[in-house]
Formats: sequence, structure tokens, C-alpha cells
Amino acid sequence: MTEKFYYDNKIVRNFAIATIVWGIVGMTVGLLIAMQLFKPALNMGSQYTTFGRIRPLHTNAVIFAFVGNAIFMGVYYSLQRLLKARMYSDVLSKIHFWGWQLIIIATAITLPLGLTTSHEYAEMEWPIDIAITVIWVVFGINMFGTIIKRREQHMYVAIWFYIATFVTVAVLHIVNSIQLPISAFKSYYLYAGVQDALVQWWYGHNAVAFFLTTPYLGMMYYFLPKMAQRPVYSYKLSILHFWSLIFIYIWAGPHHLLYTSLPGWAQSLGVAFSIMLIAPSWGGMINGLLTLRGAWDKVREDPTLKFMVVGITAYGMATFEGPMLALKQINAIAHYTDWIVAHVHVGALGWNGFLTFGILYWLIPRIYRTTLYSKKLAAFHFWIGTLGIIFYAVPLYFAGFTQGLMWKEFTQEGMLRYPNFLETVIQIIPMYMLRALGGALYLTGVIVMTYNLIKTVATGKLWANEPAEAMPLAKDYKPQGSDRKLHRVLERKPMVFLVLSLIVILIGGMIEMMPTFTIKSNVPTISSVKPYSPLELQGRDVYIREGCVNCHSQMIRPFRSETERYGEYSKAGEFVYDHPFLWGSKRTGPDLQREGGKYGNVWHFNHMLDPQTMSPGSIMPPYEWLITQTLDTTTTISKINAMRTLGVPYELGYEHKANKDLDEQAKEIAADLQKNNVKVKSDKEIIALIAYLQRLGTDIKAK
Amino acid sequence: MFKQFLDQATGNQFYLLSSLAIFMLFFIVVGIMLITMKKDEVKYMSELPLKDDIK
Repeated sequence: MTEKFYYDNKIVRNFAIATIVWGIVGMTVGLLIAMQLFKPALNMGSQYTTFGRIRPLHTNAVIFAFVGNAIFMGVYYSLQRLLKARMYSDVLSKIHFWGWQLIIIATAITLPLGLTTSHEYAEMEWPIDIAITVIWVVFGINMFGTIIKRREQHMYVAIWFYIATFVTVAVLHIVNSIQLPISAFKSYYLYAGVQDALVQWWYGHNAVAFFLTTPYLGMMYYFLPKMAQRPVYSYKLSILHFWSLIFIYIWAGPHHLLYTSLPGWAQSLGVAFSIMLIAPSWGGMINGLLTLRGAWDKVREDPTLKFMVVGITAYGMATFEGPMLALKQINAIAHYTDWIVAHVHVGALGWNGFLTFGILYWLIPRIYRTTLYSKKLAAFHFWIGTLGIIFYAVPLYFAGFTQGLMWKEFTQEGMLRYPNFLETVIQIIPMYMLRALGGALYLTGVIVMTYNLIKTVATGKLWANEPAEAMPLAKDYKPQGSDRKLHRVLERKPMVFLVLSLIVILIGGMIEMMPTFTIKSNVPTISSVKPYSPLELQGRDVYIREGCVNCHSQMIRPFRSETERYGEYSKAGEFVYDHPFLWGSKRTGPDLQREGGKYGNVWHFNHMLDPQTMSPGSIMPPYEWLITQTLDTTTTISKINAMRTLGVPYELGYEHKANKDLDEQAKEIAADLQKNNVKVKSDKEIIALIAYLQRLGTDIKAK
Repeated sequence: MFKQFLDQATGNQFYLLSSLAIFMLFFIVVGIMLITMKKDEVKYMSELPLKDDIK
């Protein structure tokens, strides 16, 4: 006898609204920072809207707010229908929704305030990290509860992707968030230098894999057959796609650290598995596109399918380009340039953005029992969005090639052809303008979509509780003739499936990380490398707060073009006291690893006050507030204590003398500035930042 | 290029070879799993998203 039940569409609608709202917010911030790269004055003279602080706001907003809410929208819609069950708990659904929105709001407040850990795509401080963990667990209980109480015997492959997403994101988030708090919104990572870099990029790469990719693949495997009204091209291929993708992806993180101080064997593993990643990625893309076999006529008419096709194609392009960028020869040119930014945005705008739009156009009319207000507007959105991606990516590819090659070009006499880094920046500013145009076009499309969906919603009424009926799941499992034991175990027992997925994703991470953490020879220590002085430590935290790492690397690769420009290449042992590491991933400005002693204190002062006076044409914003704001030295004791706990060899009791040393060093710098006609009190933040910059790379700097 | 790669791998073969072995083993298991799947089961599974339209 069949059972009657109701699908919860209200929670799907709520996540859909959040997706659209946060999408517009995140992309608007993205457009603002894109324009700041050719017009720094667009920071509006405020520290709270300056590039270094709001670039993380953009990345976190589009990843966790826009894409995150879209994932939950897609999962909550498809999971209920694939399992023929309402979500396990309406209360948990509500806690999940509102908890996630509160996390987003907390992030949007704290990041512009400079409360950041500096780990890319995980900048939120420890209280928010804890909140994310709690809400993620709520999501997991709700998802597994629904799986357990399901009426469908089998778990469709989309659910496999959702389970892998849940378990892997949980592991990534926890491992990457192990911090030692020193106050309500300040903490230091447990790891330092090379180890911290490996953890960060193991997390960073796999956040792309398991937050931006696997849940979307799950949604692709559900929504594309629905839209095309035909089953997936090859279910066997989807299974191969699933297992191979989650197994291989987790190994590829070190390709973000090629030619750095990371041990060579870890780099080699990262490259090898990155190349292998093409196979499952393209297997998935081909499976998606071939699902439309015999339905291509629908693509011509249906804007939702248009979005899906371009989205899946963008996935294919990005997942081909990714492994190519992991090749050391290509990476040597592309790394630190806008090529990487272009690569990321082909995936983000094309794959995540377009799939989200396609699903929204398909799903909203259904849960409101109406039809889309305007197919013409949806088609307009599709074309302006596609044009936006092209205008975004092509100029940045050009900028990346140009700058990467300019950095490496030598004259016949063996000198750098462009020794002034600024020359290579000025060359690509027109490309930044075109990129902003691309972003504006893309955002325009999203606003048009919002209008179209609001009008659609106005013509219908939310089907909050959609009726459905299905046979209850038999208590005793009845094999369906062909069921094999392995499949039965995998599909009948979600917890077994979870554990298997966990083992698969842990293998790669453990093989790469355990030796780096446990074998001392992987990070050779250097006796001349000493802990930071208290003032330098405080200056380093100012550097972290202002997000300098978003534009400046601290990692000189062992190329002649880099050692000529910046100095001796970076050694692993130089970073052993760096909690967190600040290697960076993009050089909008030059590398700062050997900045110490390169210029006088007064140069740094004037440069921070108004970068254009020292470097005409520079696109760095001024940081005048550092000159007026007083350094908070009440935190010195807890910072020294925390660092000692983490293994930095400060003497016992030094924390009580630290502020005295800090004052002395600050007065020396202030006196030096005074000699150069700059009057500034020694207790200002600028003094600490100068102290830190003057220390950089001097431990082993060749005289 | 390959010679250079092998030279650099000296002393680290353990990591590379064990990774390759795990990779091979894993794919053999997945391969066996796929081969043992029957057509009617595959058909049933692949049509699951379309079945949820039936009330």
C-alpha cells in the first residue's frame, strides 16, 4: 500500500532566494574590486572597502553564500524526490537555512573589519569556523536522516556526490581550521610555513573540488535528465566518474605550490594526479553533454538547457586547463598571474553560475506551479552572461600571458628587460578595464534574471507542501535479480558509503601530508632564522589584517628571472615561525620575501601614505589610516604566549618584557623617520608594519 | 624531461610508487564493480530522476 507524504518546497524556495540575493551582493563586490585594480580611488578612502579586505569578502560571498545556498537549494529539491521522502526534519532545515545566513552575515561584517585568518577561501576567524562546523553537521544529520527514512531502495549517483561533498568538506574544514585563539576574533594556525601552505592548498584545491564541483555534478546528474526528459547517457560512466574523481582530486592540491619550498616529491605527486584528473572530469562532462543526445532541438528552444550546455562545457574547459596549468613548465609562467584568475572564473562563472541559473529557471516555476514569466529575458540573460564570461576571461588570459612573459624576459646582455615590476602592471591595466566590463555584463544578466523570477513568482503561488506518494521501503531487502552484494551494501547502507568515501578521500591527503609533518628532513631548519621581534609580530598582524597577501607573494621561486628581480630564492626553513604562512597566490604587486632593507623606513612610510608618490602609476591604494591608528599592544603578551605554545622559541617570561622591546624598536624607527623629516609617533600601526617589512627575508639575505 | 623527473625522484620513489600502487588497486576494484553490474539494474538506476515525476 502506498504512503502519502509531502515534499518541502518552502526550504528550497528560501535557499533559492538566498542564492540570488547573495549572488548579487558577491558579484557586486567582485565588480567593485575589479574596478579598484584600474582606479584605486574606488576604495572610497575607507579601510573597510579597500581591496585587501574586501577581496576575501568577494571570494567567500560567491563561494559560500551564492554557490553554497545554490547547493542546498539543489540538494533539498533533488534529495527529497530521489528518495521519495520529505526532509528528515523541518526544524533542522530551518536551523540549517538561518544558521548559514547568519554565518554569511558574520563573514560580511568581520572581513571588512580586517578580522581574517589569511588562509584563502577560509579567512573567517575561529568563532565563525565553529558555527560553520555546527551548521554543516545539522545539514549532515538532515541529509542522512532523510536517506535513512527513504522509500526508494537505491541511492542514485547524485546522492553519492552529495555524501562525498558532506564528508569531504567536513574533513577539509576541520583540518584547515585548527587554530589557537588568542582573543574573540584573532587566532594563529597550528601549522607554520611549508606545512601550513600544504594544509591551506590541500584545503583550497579541494574546496574547489568538493564545494564547487562534486555537489554541482550531483545536481547535473539529477537536473539535466529532468530538463532533457531522458536518462543520463551512461550510468556506469557516472559511477566511474564518481569514484575516480573523489579519489584523484584529493591528491592534486600541491600543484598550487610548484617551485616553492614544498618538498619536491609532494609537488611531483600533485602534478601526476592533476594530469590524471582530466580523465574523470572529462568523463563527467561527456556524460553530461551526451545525455542531451537526440534532444539538441530542445537546447535551441529552452533557455534552461542553454545554460546547462554552456555550464558543462565551461566545466570541461576549466578541467582541461587545470591539469595543463599543473604542468611545471606552464605553471612557471602562469602562476601568480591573472591567467589563474581567468581559469578560476571560467569555472565559477560558467560552471557554477550557469548551472545555478539553469536550475533556478527550471525549478522556480515548478515550485510556484506556473510558467517562466519571459523566455526572451532568460535568453537575453544567457547571451549577456556568455558575453560577460568572454569579456571577463579573454582579457585576463591576455594579461596573464603578457605579464608572465614580461617577468621572465631578459635583454641580450642578460639583464631583466622589465626590472621595474610596475611596468608589467601598467601594461595590463586596459585588460583590467575590459575584465570589469565582462563582470558588469555578467552581473546585468543576473539582475535581469532576478526581475524575471520575481515576475514569475508573482504569477504563481508557492506549493509549500507538494503531495507525493510511494510504496514504503520493505524492511527485508529483496534483491532485484541483478543486485550484487557490493552495490547492495553501498546503496542500502549510507553510513557504510560515508565511511568508504571518507577512506577514499583520506588516502591522498594522508600520503602527502603525513611525511611533510613528521619527517624533519622535509623542512630543513636554518640556524640564522630567528623568531620575529614583538614589534615585527604586531606588524605582521597588521599585514594580515590589511590583506596584503592578496596582492603580494612572499615566495621567490628558483628561477633566474625571480632571483634577479627579488633576490635569493625562498627556503623552507625560512618560514618555520610563520603562523600562518603568507606565500600568497597572486602578484598584483611584487614579491616581498626579500623586501627587508631594500628601501629606507621613510620610503615605506611615504609609500603607504600615498603609493603613487613613490611609484608613479601604481595601482596600490593608500593606507593613511595606519599613520593615525594606534597599535594595540595589549595583545602582545597573549601573542607571544600563543607563539610559544605553537613552538616558536621565545624564552619563558619573555612575554612580560616584550612590550619594552617593542617600544624600543618602535622608537628607533620613529627616530629614523624623524631624521628624514617625517613626524610620526612611535605607537602608530605604520611603525609596526615598517618593522615587519624591514625584517622580511633578512635572516638569510645574501649581503 | 622524463630523465630529469626520474633524477629528481631519487630517494622519494617510495611515495611515488606506493601512490601508483594504491591508484592501480583502487581502479581495479572500481573496474570489477562496474563490470559486474547488470543492464537492468543500470537501467533502473539511470531512470530514477525521471521516476520521481510519478505521483
